[in-house]
Amino acid sequence: MLSHSPTEHRVPSSIYTVVQPQQPTMAMDLSSAYEQQQEGRVEEVFAVINDNGDLLAEVLGRLDGRSLAAAGCVCRVWAGVSRRESVWEAVCGRHVEGGAAAGAGARPVVAALGGYRRLYRLCLGPAADRLGAAARLSLSLSLSLFSIDCYERRLGRERGHPRPASLLFLDHYNPVDVS
Amino acid sequence: GRSDRYFKKKKEKMKRGHQDILHGGGGWYAVAPEMERGKRKTTMGAAEEGGDVDELLAALGYKVRSSEMADVAHKLEQLEMAMVSSAATNDDALLSHLASDTVHYNPSDLITWVDNILSELNAPPPPLPTPQSLPSADAYDLEPLPALPAPATPLVLGSDPQSEVAPSPRDRKRMKVCSSPPSSSTTTDAATSAAAALPVVVVDSQEAGIRLVHALLAGAEAVQQDNLKAADALVKQISLLATSQGGAMRKVAGYFAEALARRIYRPQPRGGVGCCSFDSVAFDDMLHMHFYESCPFLKFAHFTANQAILEAFAGCRRVHVVDFGMRQGMQWPALLQALALRPGGPPSFRLTGIGPPQPDNSDALQEVGWKLAQLAESIRVDFRYRGFVAASLADLEPYMLLDQDADGGGGGKDEEPEVVAVNSVFELHRLLARPGALEKVLGTVRAVRPRIVTVVEQEANHNGGTFQERFTEALHYYSTMFDSLEGGAAAAGADDGGPDQALSEMYLGRQICNVVACEGAERTERHETLAQWRGRMDRAGFEPVPIGSNAFKQASMLLALFAGGDGYRVEEKDGCLTLGWHTRPLIATSAWRVAAPAEDPLSALAAR
Repeated sequence: MLSHSPTEHRVPSSIYTVVQPQQPTMAMDLSSAYEQQQEGRVEEVFAVINDNGDLLAEVLGRLDGRSLAAAGCVCRVWAGVSRRESVWEAVCGRHVEGGAAAGAGARPVVAALGGYRRLYRLCLGPAADRLGAAARLSLSLSLSLFSIDCYERRLGRERGHPRPASLLFLDHYNPVDVS
Repeated sequence: GRSDRYFKKKKEKMKRGHQDILHGGGGWYAVAPEMERGKRKTTMGAAEEGGDVDELLAALGYKVRSSEMADVAHKLEQLEMAMVSSAATNDDALLSHLASDTVHYNPSDLITWVDNILSELNAPPPPLPTPQSLPSADAYDLEPLPALPAPATPLVLGSDPQSEVAPSPRDRKRMKVCSSPPSSSTTTDAATSAAAALPVVVVDSQEAGIRLVHALLAGAEAVQQDNLKAADALVKQISLLATSQGGAMRKVAGYFAEALARRIYRPQPRGGVGCCSFDSVAFDDMLHMHFYESCPFLKFAHFTANQAILEAFAGCRRVHVVDFGMRQGMQWPALLQALALRPGGPPSFRLTGIGPPQPDNSDALQEVGWKLAQLAESIRVDFRYRGFVAASLADLEPYMLLDQDADGGGGGKDEEPEVVAVNSVFELHRLLARPGALEKVLGTVRAVRPRIVTVVEQEANHNGGTFQERFTEALHYYSTMFDSLEGGAAAAGADDGGPDQALSEMYLGRQICNVVACEGAERTERHETLAQWRGRMDRAGFEPVPIGSNAFKQASMLLALFAGGDGYRVEEKDGCLTLGWHTRPLIATSAWRVAAPAEDPLSALAAR
């Protein structure tokens, strides 16, 4: 039987849980786990994905935007991981002309302008909906639009404007709300 | 007979004082044998009781007092309406009744005659004729109008969906001015001029659209000829006809009618302010902002200009941009971002923003600069800003734009000189309102030795020729602009674009008002075509810099993102980029640099 780790939020010190016949599962680190396996004392070595945020991030980062947003509704661990900028950076990289390599140096700028998650929600996601498989937005165009949005928010804050509207032209297709 | 046609013309003249009005519809039917008297001249009998009699009609044998003319005309129109509509339904009862021998009234006393005929009719409202299918309106190729439900007005308006021509928008030719009436139309005629006298009139909305265009052009002609009474009547007719239209045409007609009305009723310029009721700069900026947000024109302008500037700044470590129309500074975040991410890292960036004086003394220009500075700081671009308030760009002097900061790094001489870009989006045409202003400004621009000058202007000639020519050009141009706004909303699946679209239309409406109703220094919307600007820039000592394919690609991609993007067209023409709606270019971006000087001034002089 599987037993979950005592708390979901504990930072996993061990990666793998080990099953021994008729014994409760045990958490231990990777090298001990393999040692025990070599010695034939374990049947199964597996990892609980919720213990391993990085692994989860790797997996979720391969999803498309909508699925990733949906994944964020599964549980608190998943919600936390799915909000990581690195995950959305991977998603954005797949929607941009030139792929992830093109955007490598853009990280500080994207972070300053509002982050990859927002970049996807406001620009790349709606653009993907609009353009379909036909074309991909160039990084420069998407960042230009993103910078306009960021600037409008700054302007709006002073004047109490509800919401920057320059990118609303992308909105007509009801993009996924990942907030 | 001939007298009938003459009388019809005379009647028209009485009502509208203008002969070019399209007056299709049913012909004049002989009512009673007495009318066929022809041109036999009868001398007038003894002087009539009361006022003097119209001489021309008297020559034909009809006695009508001048004071009664309008009344008679009106009643004759009613009579015609009734007869035409019955003819359209092939209902001969009315005509045969009128043509019968039983009762004849002497039409020479015209007003009594027409009163008698009308009272004799005593008929219920004429039955609604089924709208005939019109000839394809290829001479007027208006936007196919959506079939609207009839509005609750005295006019019952309908259009037979089958009779609507639905040409492919891409093949649509633009309207041509045509003075001959469309043939073979038998629908009721000039319903609008009968005003509220008739309870029910049916007008085919497509034909009404054609009449509307004619009325607009006729109104312009009337104004051109200083025939203000006719123009006034036409404006009323335009407003009435406009209600039969839907969408873009109705709004455009409304704005043009209002502008014409302003021109007729307020010829004196009022102290230099624009011809709009609400003149605050803040309101103007707000409209501009909505126009920016809701349609792609300004974004296109900014993106293409930025690309040209970015390319001109390649490899430079110190750059300076002068913006002739700073407003909210929406153009610059994208350029800052692009500079931040360019290979080799961002340059040191200086921005000079020019703006009009603010009536409430608020420092909007500085605020904008401050916001941009914050953005620049967050993306690690070294940024300096300077704002200049100027009522006119012609007030600028070169020293204001040159780099004066001696503390820009300590060793002034060691530093690279600044590379300057001058940017003007929809600002240069205003200078044409004052003679010499453009030349002065272009001289100032030359004096700062810019690496590149980016100019975006409307692609239309609203500054040449006669008032009538200007009006016609503007009607074409703004109809297309409004079409594009409608197209965008429709493609997004909305019934209308909501407040953004309405405010964008208002933004354009103010331009329309200025083009049509203002003159002299007040008329600042003096748009000229790319070809004309080429000439001006050339004479001022600039040579064109081709805008590269990167800008074209980016602009095309941007337009693809807009709902209704199908209608927009990005085109490249002689190194300039234009954005248009279907086949009509609407705005053009061009780039310039100071032309290489002649080798030797003396030899150049000798060559002349």
